[in-house]
Amino acid sequence: MTEPLRFEGIALPGHRSPVTLEVPEHRAMLVLGPEASGVDALPAYALALDRPVTGRVLVFGEDIARLPRHSALAFRRKVGYLPAGDGLIHNLSLQDNVALPLRYGSDLSEREITGRVRIMLTLLRIADAAARRPADATEEQRRRAALARALAFDPALVILADPFDGLTHRAAAEMLELARGGETGAGSRRTVFMTGQSAPQALEPRIEVRYRLVKGELQRLS
Amino acid sequence: MIAPVAKLGQGVARSIAWLGALARFFFETLVAARWLPRAGRRVAFRVLLKQVWFTALQALPIIIVLSSILSFLVISQATRELGRLGATELLGRLMVVAIVRELGPLITALAVAGRSGTAIAAELATNKVMGEVNALEGMGIDPLHYHVLPRFGAVILSVLGLIIVFDMTAIFSGMVAAGANGMTGERYFEIVLASLTFHDVWLTVAKALVFGVIVGTIPSFHGLAVHGSPTEIPVAASQAAVGSILAIFLCSGLFVLLLV
Repeated sequence: MTEPLRFEGIALPGHRSPVTLEVPEHRAMLVLGPEASGVDALPAYALALDRPVTGRVLVFGEDIARLPRHSALAFRRKVGYLPAGDGLIHNLSLQDNVALPLRYGSDLSEREITGRVRIMLTLLRIADAAARRPADATEEQRRRAALARALAFDPALVILADPFDGLTHRAAAEMLELARGGETGAGSRRTVFMTGQSAPQALEPRIEVRYRLVKGELQRLS
Repeated sequence: MIAPVAKLGQGVARSIAWLGALARFFFETLVAARWLPRAGRRVAFRVLLKQVWFTALQALPIIIVLSSILSFLVISQATRELGRLGATELLGRLMVVAIVRELGPLITALAVAGRSGTAIAAELATNKVMGEVNALEGMGIDPLHYHVLPRFGAVILSVLGLIIVFDMTAIFSGMVAAGANGMTGERYFEIVLASLTFHDVWLTVAKALVFGVIVGTIPSFHGLAVHGSPTEIPVAASQAAVGSILAIFLCSGLFVLLLV
């Protein structure tokens, strides 16, 4: 079986020893590390937005970095991505930000897109702020909108960079539940890969696999 | 002795590298157009319309004012001076060559480069610094499709449209100036239209396209070339303005040398 995400012998910035990591299907995995420890490079490596000096990253068995540019872009649309901060387009409203990947990469009609966006915004509890631009929204609303955008295509794999930074425990828990996409017999419906400096303790039961980067080595946490 | 030569050589090498990077960016943008998804055209079209609104429609007042004043000044003085020499027929050629064909495209392109070129460079640089460009890539949206292609098309259309407005306004303003100096409107239009050839129209359209490509490419290139520091934003805007203005003047000179 092909893992949704596999880092093979990659060198993290500032560290010599290569790192290998498999993200199992239907699980949520979190890799913790201090700021600028190199952990924050993992999401960018996963989507081939940046390339490690050594090693490779496989997403559903495919090395995106080796694909031609247009194929790599099309492949990335199969993966949900929440960049650090939020990466929202500042001259679009929150609802237009959520609609953007659907408008760009799907053949859905405008009516279907509007309907789907409305559902996403309601699920993420930001329907009231839908018409606001990111600059007029709170940090939590922006993060929720960015997650809604990442989930727009209902991807099987979601990559979240620093998703809980600055959020309340309750908001973080809600975000994690929505990223997991509900439960199946095998675990969460989606595979979730997250990186960050810290995560609220209350989330530990909902994150099956956790690692911490210590002196360039990934240590699995119990 | 060697140091100034080395400095000069470094400057030339930097300019060549800049030209190479700019040419690569331009062709990458053209190639990227091939891979724009069908649904993505809708998104790009929306961005294009917004850019046309800002670059063309909101610039109309300044273009009309510039054109009216320039044409009024030139034609009122020319009517007087040429009238004294008994050569008022030359007024038509002066209007067509100096204003419609040369100054119209040049001043319009400079106005667009100064107004929209700097805005495009600053906007794209801000997007890059804020992580929007990286986020687009991560979502599988090509920033060339979302940011560059629509602006490229919008600037070409806007420059073309604004040059037409500039030239039409100049012709009508010239009529007022000629009228103030004793020439009838009929006579004015007769000599201006008699001087206008297909070559002049073709050259004006060609200039509009070339200047549009310049103002569509150079600001986007500088805007997306920043690395991530906010201090790079004003530098990108300034480089975009200087690069565009220089390229517009150079191309204007080349047009005169090669095609007139």
